[in-house]
Amino acid sequence: MVRLITHNLLACHAKGCNSNNFPLPFSNVQIEIREAEFNPEFLKAFLPKIEWKALVDTAKQLGDMSLPLEQPEMMDDDFLKSFHHVLLEIHVEEGVMTCPNCKHEYPISNGIPNMLLAEHEIG
Amino acid sequence: MSYGKYLIVFAQAHHEFRIPELHSVASLYGFDISLPKGEIETDRPYMVVGLADEKHARQLAKRCILIKAIYEFYAQGSTYEELHTRNRANQALWTRYKLDTSFKFFVTAFNHKIPQDRQRQVVESFSYMDFLGKIDMKKPDITLGCFEEYIEKRGLIRDRHDGDGQFQQAYFGRLIEEGSARVLVKMFDVKKRQYFGNTSMESEVSLLMANQTLASPGKLIYDPFLGTGSMAYPVAYFGAQVFGSDIDGRQMRGKGSTPGVFRAAAQYGVSARILDLLTFDVTHNPWRCGGLFDAIVTDPPYGVRAGAKRLGRKKELDPERQALYWEHRNNPRPDDQPYIPPTKPYELSNLAVDLVQLARYLLKPGGRLVFFLPTVTEEYEEIDVQSMLCEGMEVIANSLQDFGSWGRRLVTILKTTTDSYSPPTFDLNTLEDASSSQHVPAHRDFREKYFQGFKPPAI
Repeated sequence: MVRLITHNLLACHAKGCNSNNFPLPFSNVQIEIREAEFNPEFLKAFLPKIEWKALVDTAKQLGDMSLPLEQPEMMDDDFLKSFHHVLLEIHVEEGVMTCPNCKHEYPISNGIPNMLLAEHEIG
Repeated sequence: MSYGKYLIVFAQAHHEFRIPELHSVASLYGFDISLPKGEIETDRPYMVVGLADEKHARQLAKRCILIKAIYEFYAQGSTYEELHTRNRANQALWTRYKLDTSFKFFVTAFNHKIPQDRQRQVVESFSYMDFLGKIDMKKPDITLGCFEEYIEKRGLIRDRHDGDGQFQQAYFGRLIEEGSARVLVKMFDVKKRQYFGNTSMESEVSLLMANQTLASPGKLIYDPFLGTGSMAYPVAYFGAQVFGSDIDGRQMRGKGSTPGVFRAAAQYGVSARILDLLTFDVTHNPWRCGGLFDAIVTDPPYGVRAGAKRLGRKKELDPERQALYWEHRNNPRPDDQPYIPPTKPYELSNLAVDLVQLARYLLKPGGRLVFFLPTVTEEYEEIDVQSMLCEGMEVIANSLQDFGSWGRRLVTILKTTTDSYSPPTFDLNTLEDASSSQHVPAHRDFREKYFQGFKPPAI
């Protein structure tokens, strides 16, 4: 169940892969929507940590267009609800995340991504 | 600020963890607690503390795993004469209950059983308080408790009531709140859990760890050695959202299509708060940035039943096998199982140093690292814990759970710095020789020492 909050925090970490290594686009995904607790304070506090463009693009890729292209200055209730949904309620159960730079494939099975590196990819 | 005095009655367990837990819960709710001055004998079951508000006493009783009850403190004494004199002097605290408050009165003892007729005598000796309300044992307006504390006599052959009345100290007060967090110890019982492993942490200790993290709604907490998730459940139960990772995905998954950690979390109604589980080696981790978490809580594998592992090989491949590896990588056979990279042991004292640096990177300022460190009782020195610190990280609690020749220390480290630090390099292994002249902590090579029975190696 890779959620987009998690996806937004993961970069490819193979040896020497230091640029163009985020975000890791999904492919062959199976998605589930599951309700999560709405906590506006948490969302507001976490927003500065989010790479906004990556979140919007990834949501779009998974078929959710509810987020504005630019991060809004005013966080009204409608915005927080969409942000909450995208960040915490979309779960990628199966699929692959691929590094745009080195093409390393990180498979997801039963909701758990395998981020282990091969022995030639560690420093 | 003026403090009221409160009598805490502790559960008889993990006495070294009591004061850290009090401080943590006070800090979680943002109030001050004033402890007795001087050396505190932490193994005594009663403690009188100062609190600015009765509300704080209730918060402590509802959240502290080690509190049985909290009373408003009226008096104490090494004899009843002394206690009564002081109780009279404090009558401003209780005169308002004199007229028409129904009450219950009980006398009890620690390490002793008081004969019934003397219990009655003790109750009667308080008659000067002139309580006119009716006695109600079931639903009283207030409950008054009198506690006698005796020195432990276990193992001595004696008459049942031997030494009756020869207590160390007697305490008296009015019940504010019975502790209600202790029932969680049963609720989180590992034996009743849907999913657990042979290294799962017992529930009481995992709850104590959760309190050290200040877990509460809106907090983000990470366990980098998640295993079967023992620490994730109580932390999520207190409202925090949790990330977990482990180098061995099988630990988190178990059998069946729904990963075991999610099954156990569902049993406690907290699966929505387990944000994600990830398989990776924390020494090669994919976190994009630091400053993410309010707390990191973990029980690193220290090698008795399961040793810590990190990616890599103990010995580099020779050129021939290196070539084979590449051939295999480039032309995988279609029926191949998923590739599993090789791992090598991760020495505990290196892991501890790395963990503190990783926490400094990943924690928000003011965040906490809470973890267990096994140690050899005879060899332990305070510097063992001090020497794994780095700039900006301070130990705020260090409590021993004693198993005899070894023990484990629950260490709580606070990120005091607001500066950003770069992620650690995890290259201590390669610097092994350079560190040989430095202090060697007692937890270095813990696994070897454990299996040698903590004796010095034979010469």
